[in-house]
Order: sequence, then C-alpha cells, then structure tokens
Amino acid sequence: MSNGINRRGVMKGMAAAGLAMPFVNVRTAMAQSGPITIGVVTPLSGPAQLIGTFVREGAEIAVEHVNANGGINGREVELSFRDSKANPNDASVAARELIGSGVNLQLGTISSAVALAMGPLLQSEGGVVITSGAGTEKLNHENYNPHVFRVGDSPVSRNAGLVRHIANSRPDIRKWGGIIPDHEYGRTTWKIFEATMRKAIPELTGEEAQIAEPILVPYGSGDYRNYIAQAMRQDVQGIYTSVYGGDAVTLYQQASPFGLFDKIDVLLDSANEFLVATAMKDQTPAHWSGFHWYFEANKGNPLSDQLYSRYVERTGEKYPMGWAAEAHAAILAYKGAIEKADSTETTDVIAALKGLSFDSATGMRHIRAEDNQAIKNAELAFIEPSSSEPDGFAVTDYVSLEGEKVIEPARPGQMLDIDAL
Amino acid sequence: MIDYRVRFRTNLVIAACGLAAFAVVPFVANSGLLFLAGLVAINIVFGLSWNFLFSGVGLLSFGHAMFFAGGAYGMALITRHVPEMPFLLALVLGAACGGLIALVFGVVALRRASGVYFAVLTLAFSELIHILITKTTFLGRNDGLTGIPRPVIELGFGTLNLTSATAYYYFIIIAMTLVAVMMWCFQNAPAGRLLQAIRQDQMRTAFLGTPIQGWQLTAFVISGTVAAFCGAVMVPFTQIASPEIAYWTVSTQPILFTLLGGAGHFWGPAVGAILFGAIDYGTRTMHGLSEITVGVLLLAVVLIIPGGLLGLLKRRRAAASKSTRAETAGERTSETEAGK
Repeated sequence: MSNGINRRGVMKGMAAAGLAMPFVNVRTAMAQSGPITIGVVTPLSGPAQLIGTFVREGAEIAVEHVNANGGINGREVELSFRDSKANPNDASVAARELIGSGVNLQLGTISSAVALAMGPLLQSEGGVVITSGAGTEKLNHENYNPHVFRVGDSPVSRNAGLVRHIANSRPDIRKWGGIIPDHEYGRTTWKIFEATMRKAIPELTGEEAQIAEPILVPYGSGDYRNYIAQAMRQDVQGIYTSVYGGDAVTLYQQASPFGLFDKIDVLLDSANEFLVATAMKDQTPAHWSGFHWYFEANKGNPLSDQLYSRYVERTGEKYPMGWAAEAHAAILAYKGAIEKADSTETTDVIAALKGLSFDSATGMRHIRAEDNQAIKNAELAFIEPSSSEPDGFAVTDYVSLEGEKVIEPARPGQMLDIDAL
Repeated sequence: MIDYRVRFRTNLVIAACGLAAFAVVPFVANSGLLFLAGLVAINIVFGLSWNFLFSGVGLLSFGHAMFFAGGAYGMALITRHVPEMPFLLALVLGAACGGLIALVFGVVALRRASGVYFAVLTLAFSELIHILITKTTFLGRNDGLTGIPRPVIELGFGTLNLTSATAYYYFIIIAMTLVAVMMWCFQNAPAGRLLQAIRQDQMRTAFLGTPIQGWQLTAFVISGTVAAFCGAVMVPFTQIASPEIAYWTVSTQPILFTLLGGAGHFWGPAVGAILFGAIDYGTRTMHGLSEITVGVLLLAVVLIIPGGLLGLLKRRRAAASKSTRAETAGERTSETEAGK
C-alpha cells in the first residue's frame, strides 16, 4: 500500500494541478517569440456580412503583405476571426473570448453601436480595437475611450466634406430630405448633414436651406415601402441617405419602382461605395457616394495598387470597397505601433498608436494622440448607370478632399461642436 | 408513496455537483471561456424558468425574452440612474420588472387565451417589448445601454468586491444554484404539485375547488420573475443591455435547451444549456454555421430522441434494469427447474 497509487494521492495531485493552472500561462511564455495573433471581430453573417467580407479580405491581404516583408519585428502575423453579427451583444462575447485566449489586439468593428460598447469592455479586460469604419462621432468625442482607435476618416471629415462639395457644386438645391437608419450611426450622419447644409447654403446663396424631418428606418428590415411612400410625399430636391450594407440595396431596389430617384435632382449616399451599384447594375440611380478608399483615386500608390490587384486575384471581383482598405490600414497601424513600442502589450501598443504616422492604401495617415482619430483624406465619387459599361455603371467623377482641411478639432470627452462644421 | 426527503437530497447533490463543476472553471479555463461559462450558468436558470411554466403548469411561452430583457434593462437603468442603490436591492427590483411584465401580460392573456393562442400572444407581446425598446431613447434605442459597472457589495462587516470577471462569475454561479434549488423546492411543494395537477387535468382540478387562472397567473409571474432575475444578473457581467436580448431568437433559446435536455426532467434545460453552450463555442469560428448546427441537432433530437438527452438516459437505464431483472428471473427459473 505504501508505494501504490491511492485515491487520496490522485485527488491531491488533481487539486494541486487545478490550483496551479492559472499560474501556468503557456501563452505568456510564447508571447515574445511566436506569431502575433490579431483578432478580427466583424459581421460575417446577417445583413452586414457584405461589409464584413471586405474587412476580412482587406485584413488578410495586409497580413500577406506584412508577412512577405519579414513580419512585425521578425514575427509572423496571424488572424483570428469571430462573427460580431453586427450587434453589441455577440461582438462583446467574441471580443472577451478572444482576449481570454490571449488576443488583445483587435480590429474589424464596423457598427457604431458595437464600437461604443467596446470601449468600456476593452478597458476592463485589457484590449485594444481599431474600428474599420464605425461612423459615430461619439467615438472621438463624448464617448472617447483610449482603448478604441479609428484609423479611417471621422464622420465629420466624410459627411461635412461630402455635403460642402455638393453644396458648392449645386447651390441651387436647397430643399433636402433624408432616409436615415434609426441607430447611432444614422443619427450621427444626419446631425452632421443637417448642420453643415444649414450653414453652407446660406453662405453660398444667402437663402435658408429647407430641410425636412428625416425618415428613420429600422436596421435589417426587409420592407421599406412605407418609408419610401413617406419620402415620396415630401417636397424635396435632394435626398441624403446613410442606410448601409444589405439594407441599402433593399431600400434602393424597392425605391426604384416608386420613382423616388426620378423625382429628385441629387442623391447623396454617405458610405455605400459600390455596394448598391454592383447589386443594381444599370438600374443604379445616379448618386454621389462617400468612400473610405476609391482605388482609382489612389492609382500610383503601391499599397493601393497591391491591395486592388490582390483583391481582384483573390475574389475575381473588380470593385473592392473601402472597408477592405480600413482593415488593411488597421493591420499596418498595428505593425507600426508594435515596431515602435517593441511590444504587443495593450498599454504599450496604445501609447505607440497615439501620434503614429503610417503609410496606407490612401497615403500617409496620422493618428491624433488626443482623440485616437486618424487624419486622412475623404474621398467621394459620382456613380451613374451606363449601358455601354459591362457592369452597367460607371464612375464619372471623383474628388479627394485633404484630411487636414476637413477634419474637426480634437475634443475628446466633449460633444461635437456643430457650430465649428 | 414518494419520499420527498430522499428526492430533495438527491437533487441537492446534483445542484452541488453542478456548482462544484462550474467553480473549477476559473482554475482550468481562460477568461474568455470563463465568460461563456458564466453565460451558460445564467442560461441554465433561464431554461429552468421556461420549463417551470411548460412542464410545471402546461403553459407554452414563445416570449420569454421579454422577461429576460425586462430584468436586464431594469438593472441597467437602476445602475445608471441610481448608482447608490444597494446591488442586491437593484437585483430584486430588476427581477420585479420581469414579474410586473408577466403580471400585466398574464392578466390580459390568461383570461382570454389558452394553448396555441396563448403561445402566439406571448410571441406578439414579446415583439412589442422589443420594438418599444428600440424606439425608446431612454432605453438607448437600437444601441442599447453600455458601460454598466460591476458592483461592490457592502455587507456591514466588510465589502465584497465583484468588479473582476472572476469574482462576479462566482457570484453568478452561487446565485443561480440557489435559485435553481428554490425552484426545485417550489415545484415539489404542495403548490407545485397542484400546478402539476392543473397541467394534467384542468377541469378535474377546477372541480376540486382550485382557482385555475389564479394559479396559472402565479406560475406565470414566478417564471417571469426568475427569467428577469437571470437578465438582471447578466447585465453587470456583460456590461451591456442591447435590444437583441429582447428579440424572439432569445425566446427560442430556453425552448431549445429544454428540448435538447428533456422537458420531462427538472434538470433537462440545464443539460440542454450546457450542450448548447458547448456547440456554440465549438462552432464559433464557423461563421453562420452555428445556427445550422443547432437546428440540425434539434431536428435530430426531436425525431430520434423525443424525450431529450435525459429522456434517452432514463430509457437506457430502464431497459438495462429490465434486462437485468429478466436475467435474474431466468436464472431463478432454471435454478428451480434444476431443483426439481
């Protein structure tokens, strides 16, 4: 009996092993030598999957590029994907689960509600996230959190830039309406649109802008006909919309038979890039769209050209959209920050990301240290239906607005100053 | 005659074993898994609250998310607007929110509807609550309420700091075990047995002088309160209350747990919730496939083992003991014959 294995011995061993587990952290031992894993929490199912797929491609192409050029400080980069389903609940579960398995550096958030939920969560869990297109102004204003970065354009530089450009080119259009998604992002874009338009039109024409009450539409609705009928009743010359993703395609498709787009002179779309045009082809209504990255506008930039050619090779599709470039930029920002800090620890990476300047598919970007917001150019393109083009549509005009000129001053912790737009 | 003392002791041991298994998780798993285990513990009691209504009194609810969300939002609002309120009182008030929703809905629906009509009404009312949340600025509309802090409980003789995920996890598993044991006690007390009688034969129980609607409403309110308690406990853990938790997909979860585990067993929903959590974790990198996996599994369970996993185990045990008895009887017969 004295040398044999008995029940008590086994129990003691198991208890000791169990108690020792929290102190045996294999990941910590590997952390300074193995590959660097970056988490991508983005919508990979549901109506926003269209956008999540671009994020996925962009991040993978950037990782390919980084690894082909020696990795980050000689270490390979790996990606770990999780489906956020574009809702804060699933996204926060995924982000926590990733941090729990040692993946503290994350990207891929495109929904504003998710991005706002991430701040307090990452602060308490010890992680960082770079959004790939979340458009709420609160992110770098009243809800500013040091753990959340936006390497894309701020909603002000995008929307105020878009609005000022349209107001300058078509000052005769003074009656505006809006179809806006009823959540954080929608309300932000409308607030900026309305404030800028109310300021720009009188400056240019000396007359007041007439802006109707926006029509608020729900997220993920399959039927927008009631809202379209409501828009048809409004006396407007131009419509601004920030409905995005699969919802926008549904909205545009349902609005066409009503003749909504024939009724108005200008259609302004805050962010859908080629999403609607590739779905509707020659039925696409002529519209201006804001872009995170328009490849033609960045021709000659090796990073942009490489992103474009790899995207086309990988997917066979000719129209990559800006979310790919935002995820691509997020990886490059992490590369810059990790090399600068020589560490992947959360606090070191945060410190290094603040004030970082790095090259991207849209040229150099600079992350403001004060509010974690990048300064980059805002791009806009005019998309028209075209029967002569094989895809049924063509870009007939585009503009790139200099980031420094269109961005608002940094006001972390304070509300956006509408008067300064 | 059923010996309830023996039954109580057996179920207490089951609950204690479950608690012990969950208590080991922080020692063997990373914080991500710990977080998911906490959600599973909450889902277990959420499932029990649904099955209490379904198997306990025979009411089918397709809208349990409204109670869960009621508790979650109640808790979130209290924490944000009355931060000085003691945490345990806030939990009670959060649970009471769900109880109140159940009372209002129960008074209206139980008077007019039963069976499938009642189930459809619960679904409709739950959707109404979901839409109300998404349209109410006070409740954060589609964005929900975020950044809800975890509590520090003042105990008089000291403080209990639950701000870390691990500390709050232990609070969750202890609270959930207590509620589960209390539910078992209620279901096996005379009141619970009366509810069983209502489920089995409403008319006969009514003839015995039992106010059927009153008891059904009581059960409905208890079930709603427990579901809301789960929601209220969850909010400081996830630190967010978003409208998705009031969506119909959340209402389907306790039904899935119960069908997977077995509706005829008190711990059926618990087994289902654990299995569901494991599948969810296992399929987390197969995007869009987790729903398909759960759907296929559910279909398989309903078609092949209608009594759920616990039903299957019970049948296996019954078959095994039957064959053992048959063998023993066979041996005895041959012994007798040999004796002749």
